[in-house]
Amino acid sequence: MCEANVYINRASGEELLMEKVDRIVPGEDQTVFLENIFGERKVVKARIREMELVHHRVVLDEIREESHTVHEEIWLEPSTDHGHFHEGEQVRLKLFKGSNMKPGHHAHFADLKAFVAGSGGVKELHFHDHHGSCELVLGEENDGLLQLWAEENENGQRRLASVLVEVGHHHHHALKPAGLDLEIFPTDYSHARMGESYEIQVLQQGKPLAGVEVRATFAGTHQKDYPHRLTTNEEGKVRLFLTSRGNYLFSVSVDDLTSTFTLVKSF
Amino acid sequence: MCKNMPPLELAIQFHGHICPGLLIGVRAAELAQKQLGIEQDNDEELVAIVENDNCSVDAIQAILGCTFGKGNLIFKDYGKNVWTIISRQSGKALRIAQRFGSTAGPASERFRALNGKHDLTDEEAGEKEMLIGELFEKIMSMPAEDLFTWQQVAVKIPDRATIRKTVRCDRCGEGVMETRTISRDGQTLCPECQMN
Repeated sequence: MCEANVYINRASGEELLMEKVDRIVPGEDQTVFLENIFGERKVVKARIREMELVHHRVVLDEIREESHTVHEEIWLEPSTDHGHFHEGEQVRLKLFKGSNMKPGHHAHFADLKAFVAGSGGVKELHFHDHHGSCELVLGEENDGLLQLWAEENENGQRRLASVLVEVGHHHHHALKPAGLDLEIFPTDYSHARMGESYEIQVLQQGKPLAGVEVRATFAGTHQKDYPHRLTTNEEGKVRLFLTSRGNYLFSVSVDDLTSTFTLVKSF
Repeated sequence: MCKNMPPLELAIQFHGHICPGLLIGVRAAELAQKQLGIEQDNDEELVAIVENDNCSVDAIQAILGCTFGKGNLIFKDYGKNVWTIISRQSGKALRIAQRFGSTAGPASERFRALNGKHDLTDEEAGEKEMLIGELFEKIMSMPAEDLFTWQQVAVKIPDRATIRKTVRCDRCGEGVMETRTISRDGQTLCPECQMN
């Protein structure tokens, strides 16, 4: 067999995918790479069903992407362009509502509450409307690490959003989870850099939640859906290799409760 | 800069974007630092002899501080992913070569195809983003032994860059390094005027 026509079985039936293919390489993640004698290349999610060598024909079965439920969620992002605030700077955060770090149009928030935990204990915060954005303004904070979370209750749907905000630099002290009903918490918050792995733990009522799907995304992704879907291990943990600059968002849902954690990175 | 920028970020800021070639250069630069026990160059303590002019060289410049402008980046146009890093202080030189095919595969080929294309569709932009993520993790997580071969080599340490006298070109009137001029019909000419 010199070259072959490659066909693919889709839900709609068999169709010619590429003519005169002279190279087929099964890749990772259920992909098949094709190249033809004209130099055209394609990567498809499929498995090889049949190779009819005499008839110069290869048949693939398409692997259809699972359709995922869209979870509407809320998340907090600090209003800073380099991942942290400086002492004396006004600490501001915005609350967003949408999915996959893409805010929905005309997002409406219902029954919101927000809290901050710092060196002075836990205190409630109040949201402000700032040019149509839902904003938290903490004012000037001392050097340290602030743990914030917000909660929305809308028609039986509960949404939680948490974030760690750095004021100043290089805070390496141990942190405790806030104790939310469903919480995503970093196992070592101080090492969050592009080009390294980052580990988070999912806690339900303070206990590790195993076998639950964690969605992960990053600011500015081109993907319509979450680019990463991971499953927690027996300790409720997942690791993700960070390949993008800027903030990441982790999200988890159990029944009517969705909880997010915004990873704020300097790099 | 209020936080020390990690090497990867230095390279990305210098180069302008993330790509597999840059990441290979990041790994090569970090390997050189580890093997030679060196920090970023300040004033020609290091010399890099690079055998290509691809993206990886920007990582060498940004992380090791061997730059075109300082004169401690020597380019040999061999088209090879080979970088020789020399420490003047220790007199040691490390030659690092990328293993042939170490990052090859369908993801790499597809990324190249998309990278060479101008107006990407939304789907292609999304695919490219996932491919760079896949290659990023692969290159940065791969054991150095799988990515490179390296050895200390004996090389003649290049002289430090010399600042030459600037003279005036008799035809265009612009300043030119004296060693780049020629004298013709009693005139001192810069290379550009020699050709016209």
